Amino acid sequence: MLSEKNSNEKRKVVVVQGRDIYEYRAFYQKFERAKYISHLDLYRAVQRTFQRADIPVWFTEGYNPHIYLTFPMPIFLGCEGVEESFDFRTTVDMEPEELMEKLNAAFPEGIRVTRMAAPVHKATEIARARYTLLVSSEGKTGEELRGLWEAFASSPEILAEKRTKKGMKTVDLKPMLFSSQAEAEGEALRLTLETACGIAENLSPVLLIDTFAAGNGFEADYRLIRRDGMYLENGEAFC
Amino acid sequence: MNVKEKLEPLLLKVQKPARYIGGELHSVIKDKADIDFRIALCFPDTYEIGMSHLGLKILYDIINLDPHCWAERVYAPWIDFEKLMREKGLPLYGLESLDSLDEFQAIGFSLQYELSYTNILNMLDLAGIDPRAACRKESDPIVFAGGPCASNPEPLCDFMDLFQIGEGEEVMMEMIALYRKMKAEGTYTKKDFLREAAQIPGIYVPSLYEITYHEDGTIASVTPKDGAPAKVTKRIIQDMSAVRYPETFIVPYMETVHDRAVLEVMRGCIRGCRFCQAGFIYRPLRAKTPDVLCGQAKLLCDSTGYDELSLSSLSTSDHPQVEELLNRIIDYTDEKKIGLSLPSLRVDNFSESLMEKVSRIHKSGLTFAPEAGNQRMRDVINKNVDEEEIMRTCRIAFEGGYTNVKLYFMSSLPTETDEDVKDIGRLAQRIVDLFFSLEKRPRKMVNVSISVAVFVPKCDTPFQWVGQDTFEVIERKQKALVDSIRSRKISVSWHDVHTSVLEGVIARGDRRLGDAIYRAWKKGCVFDSWSECFHFDRWMEAIHEAGLTPEFYASRTRDLDEILPWDHIDVGVSKAFLKHEWEKAQRAETTRNCREQCAGCGASKLLTRKDGVCVE
Repeated sequence: MLSEKNSNEKRKVVVVQGRDIYEYRAFYQKFERAKYISHLDLYRAVQRTFQRADIPVWFTEGYNPHIYLTFPMPIFLGCEGVEESFDFRTTVDMEPEELMEKLNAAFPEGIRVTRMAAPVHKATEIARARYTLLVSSEGKTGEELRGLWEAFASSPEILAEKRTKKGMKTVDLKPMLFSSQAEAEGEALRLTLETACGIAENLSPVLLIDTFAAGNGFEADYRLIRRDGMYLENGEAFC
Repeated sequence: MNVKEKLEPLLLKVQKPARYIGGELHSVIKDKADIDFRIALCFPDTYEIGMSHLGLKILYDIINLDPHCWAERVYAPWIDFEKLMREKGLPLYGLESLDSLDEFQAIGFSLQYELSYTNILNMLDLAGIDPRAACRKESDPIVFAGGPCASNPEPLCDFMDLFQIGEGEEVMMEMIALYRKMKAEGTYTKKDFLREAAQIPGIYVPSLYEITYHEDGTIASVTPKDGAPAKVTKRIIQDMSAVRYPETFIVPYMETVHDRAVLEVMRGCIRGCRFCQAGFIYRPLRAKTPDVLCGQAKLLCDSTGYDELSLSSLSTSDHPQVEELLNRIIDYTDEKKIGLSLPSLRVDNFSESLMEKVSRIHKSGLTFAPEAGNQRMRDVINKNVDEEEIMRTCRIAFEGGYTNVKLYFMSSLPTETDEDVKDIGRLAQRIVDLFFSLEKRPRKMVNVSISVAVFVPKCDTPFQWVGQDTFEVIERKQKALVDSIRSRKISVSWHDVHTSVLEGVIARGDRRLGDAIYRAWKKGCVFDSWSECFHFDRWMEAIHEAGLTPEFYASRTRDLDEILPWDHIDVGVSKAFLKHEWEKAQRAETTRNCREQCAGCGASKLLTRKDGVCVE
């Protein structure tokens, strides 16, 4: 049975089998070589970090106890993140600053916690995300790519093959692309995108750009893929 | 050249990019300004397999302790990434610095399996280095190899400047010291370095040995030159408790084959199973004390955050203080919620309280390796278990709630007949019958799965002279076994015949086989141990084009007086002992284990303490 009491902005208190357990949301950044970690690998890496950091972390109490750890909207492989988060629980009421220090001392290269707070929103409330991408293609200038992108982004529909549970399906990506800004940066195209990101609707920027590239007969080289933030339906930042 | 810029756009186009980018926790990054010796520790298979290998973790740690040396890791790129590397001109690089291998002073390969040899050639080629030692430039790095397969180094002699024979902790640092000294003094040339290196015990420089052959292809003579020793004797660590062991491991992001803390509890084995190369080449037995092991376990688990610890050795239950060791380790792992895995553990003679502790954690299933189906065959191979023991273990397992039993066997063993092979099926049937005879049996249905490997004769074992069964015989025996199994409660799985035969060719190959390996690689053979990459036909073409036959190496029974290709490599066990064991095998006579009675194998000569005894 879970119930809430005595929560504050630093952590939430839940009661598990009569015992107070403290819940935190850690906001972290993932960059450099760490961006090539898949979600499953990241999950394992964070679990091991808790073990090394010697934090009195709360284990689930099932048949096979494991560290309680959840990631709202996992980030995909190859994508850097600046405002990502995971939730965890401790058995001792700890100061967020202390937790942050211990975690950062134990994290591998490329993963850093930037702040810690009590969870406010539910993961299911996330609806959109903002991305920055740097894309190039051999033999094309950034200006050429920008021109092609403007035409692509203003077309009335963007049809793409998307893998679903029932096999391949053609979907229109356009309604899931909320905004896009493009500028040339030398040989590359810099894109700032806002796309659907959530449990109901989700558009990976990689699918969008692969569709863009395929439609124009080239292959995209990704120089940078970064998720800058996640937002609720009303535009409020997820926190 | 630093490859980072070229590398990044490629990573999103391949499977599992985490294999190729490094940056894992505890990987060692150094400032190049402080370094005068850079070494690439290469494992000729994928990242997941190479990262699981304990030997390279130990060497990586030891070399990187030296402030002037920097050891990096290199694994074989999978075929999708190799294709992109070749297309985009990306050279093979070290995972720590992302610098290409031409910036290194030495490139070392771990030899764990004969079917990974073509990957060695491919990795050198990807680094822009000619795989053939004779074609390499003076400025190219020193290319060398070590590991269990170096006990017959001959098939790789065309490709290696030198081999390290035996355990590497000390000889590696001696080799590096010689290189740095000659460079500092300005006396280094590759030729002079190799001549000097050959004077270091345990280093074999193949170019300093001239081999001549008889008409029939057997060896006529082996002549060392430039003062190289007539026999190169294996190196061992004298005191396992005193030698450095890594205080931490690199913690990979992606899941590797053995993704856990590994504690090496001892080297060597007292059992003397006659088919087992490891059982002979790692002699004599040397164990670490429980105190040392408990300290090492704690350091490893605390620094890595691993929640699983594995005790590693050829036969952990033969550790001289196994009860004390397990009692103490289990107390620690229980407290820390760390899972303990105990491969190669015989639980038959433990005390009741330890049995209770071990069985609490050891629930994953029951595996057992009788290796052969009847007592005569088990006596031939000196696998000293009898049927009563097998049945007793299965009974305990069934009564304890297990219903899945997995049994490992070998077929095509020396002196084996079709009836002997069918006895494997009969033994499995008796285990099924035993299950149904028990009143206390579990309600779930029993399943006995038998996994049958094809025996491959290896050097430095009593079976080193034996001709391997031909294809036809192996397949006939496999069919005989499958046909003899009536029960659907028994499932059988086989090792691939073709890979076993090729392994048999290379394992006892001579220098001339290097040409066949080179040709096979040129025909596109890489990752030969991966069935999707294995091209047996190309290998057969390559062997024939080199003027050789697979039969000469695999299925030919050698004369006991023949000069064998590995005779000038001394692993400690004497040829006279191996001959004696082979004679006993043919009479189905067993030899007692080292603890019961010393069999005089000769390995004790490797110990510096001169009481003449290896086992306490």
